[in-house]
Amino acid sequence: MTHIITRRDFLRKTGAATIIAAAGVPLFAQEGAQKKSKVILIRHQNIVDKDGRVDQKVFEQMLDEVMVKLFDSKTHEAAWKQIIKPTDIVGIKSNKWKYLPTPAEVENTLKARLRSVGVQEENISIDDQGVLRNPVFLKATALINARPMRAHHWAGVSGCLKNYIMFTPEPSDLHPDSCVDLGSLYNLPIVKGKTRLNVLLMLTPQFNCLGPHHFDKEFVWQYKGLLVGTDPVALDSVGLKIIEAKRRQYFKEDLPIRPSPKHIAAAEQKHGVGVADMKKIELIKLGWNEGVLI
Amino acid sequence: MYQIIVFFILIILPNRMFSQIKTSELLPENMNGWEMSDTARLYSGEEIFDYMDGAGEIYRTYNFQNLTVQRYACPSQEEILVEIFDMGSARNAYGVSTYMHGRGTGVSIGQNGEYKLGLLTFWKDKYFVCVQIEKENTEASRTVFDIGKSISNAIPSKGAIPEIIGLLPKNKIEEKSIRYFFRYEILNIHYFVADKNILNLNDSTDGVLVKLKNDKSTILFIGYPDKEQTDSAYDSFIAHYMPDSKGKGIVETENKKWTACVKEQNYLLINFDSPTKEQAVITIDTFKRRLQ
Repeated sequence: MTHIITRRDFLRKTGAATIIAAAGVPLFAQEGAQKKSKVILIRHQNIVDKDGRVDQKVFEQMLDEVMVKLFDSKTHEAAWKQIIKPTDIVGIKSNKWKYLPTPAEVENTLKARLRSVGVQEENISIDDQGVLRNPVFLKATALINARPMRAHHWAGVSGCLKNYIMFTPEPSDLHPDSCVDLGSLYNLPIVKGKTRLNVLLMLTPQFNCLGPHHFDKEFVWQYKGLLVGTDPVALDSVGLKIIEAKRRQYFKEDLPIRPSPKHIAAAEQKHGVGVADMKKIELIKLGWNEGVLI
Repeated sequence: MYQIIVFFILIILPNRMFSQIKTSELLPENMNGWEMSDTARLYSGEEIFDYMDGAGEIYRTYNFQNLTVQRYACPSQEEILVEIFDMGSARNAYGVSTYMHGRGTGVSIGQNGEYKLGLLTFWKDKYFVCVQIEKENTEASRTVFDIGKSISNAIPSKGAIPEIIGLLPKNKIEEKSIRYFFRYEILNIHYFVADKNILNLNDSTDGVLVKLKNDKSTILFIGYPDKEQTDSAYDSFIAHYMPDSKGKGIVETENKKWTACVKEQNYLLINFDSPTKEQAVITIDTFKRRLQ
């Protein structure tokens, strides 16, 4: 008989507030001996103005600093050369959601850095919903995943994992059970082993949503950060912690994210595409520290 | 002779009485200087995901039929976006409206009209309507209301609220917290019970989740089509959620609160997170009396 997980299992194990992160995945999964996933959090007070517009120069500085730290390199150029060859064909997967898109300044900087290590202009493309019709993405040898983090009505939160949903011809197949199987996207042939860098934008994240399609300025704050790493699951996991901390600060109680963003834990435990457990994540914080929440 | 009279009546009466109103016909052509900036777009079935990504699942769970999207523009002003969801029935439209109801200020437009931060929502008959602007200003907000009123007036009849809602003791509940559904996926978004459908929810059941005013505990109230299905759901819930209650239907849960469950006629009543055993019994009794 299939084991049924109820609310009480979570109360027993963790307390009501964390029903959330693990529903639908093995509760008592054994921890394997794994290398820690490195995640860099960098923040800068001037990365966005009061209207949320990105300062490209500041973004360039932040990204360059992160690359040096993430890949233990002397220069950011050397770091990029560790992950990208001049012969690579690179798709930059962005996000076009009209209220909180991947800003053009971010896309432009990523493209410029790829060009600086010798990738040909025609071998770079930036796309969101058209990736399965985009010739560069169809023959890509490398991918870069860049998008903002936000609360999501169906998956709980939308981050690096959710951003690849357009790589499947039937995105709705992944919607059941609050999109628990989003991690499987990273095992699709068009994606598997190709992602060299994930940039989870925490510039102005949305920490709560009221309904299926409503962007609410009330629930967006200027966090002014970036999470960067090679493990999309670890980035989403850290991003989720920040979102949860902001919710506690705002609502003055542990108000669980609805629905449960269980796809993050499932990406580790079921699909094996990264690390969700914070104990197995090495978080390095750089830059502005006020209101860091983690 | 009778057939001839009927034939002439059919010719004389307007077509509209015999055909369904097209959703796009509910839209005003212009309002206070705003004009339609594009032709209305129609999304049916899975096309909803092209428009709103995974969030479309919520509408699909409530048996969504199609969505009409119309944008209105006015020089140097905010764009107004109108979305009219044809949910196929008043039951579905009411359900989807409760999904996000209770977060704004009530307005008398349509049924359960509500406005918050540039977003006006209401339901009427089989339609759920959203009219929104990104940044509020007096003139744009006024036009959002006027467009909403115009659409509401164009929908000829009101929809019936599911009967189960009328069984709730209004003085005991926080009305704004009412959530109406018939699938366990929606129940779990509002209040996670179990990762499987242990309450046997389906399109023929009526589910209501609501918070109580006095102790802030939660009531889950479900109506089933017959006694057999009620009994089966009750047995399943007791077996999976409170096997330690030894069939009594009341148990202290791990957070030191109480959960009680009873069946009455074709209904199941569950009180989650009551502060005491006595309070849980009183609460269940209050709701039960409404059914007798």
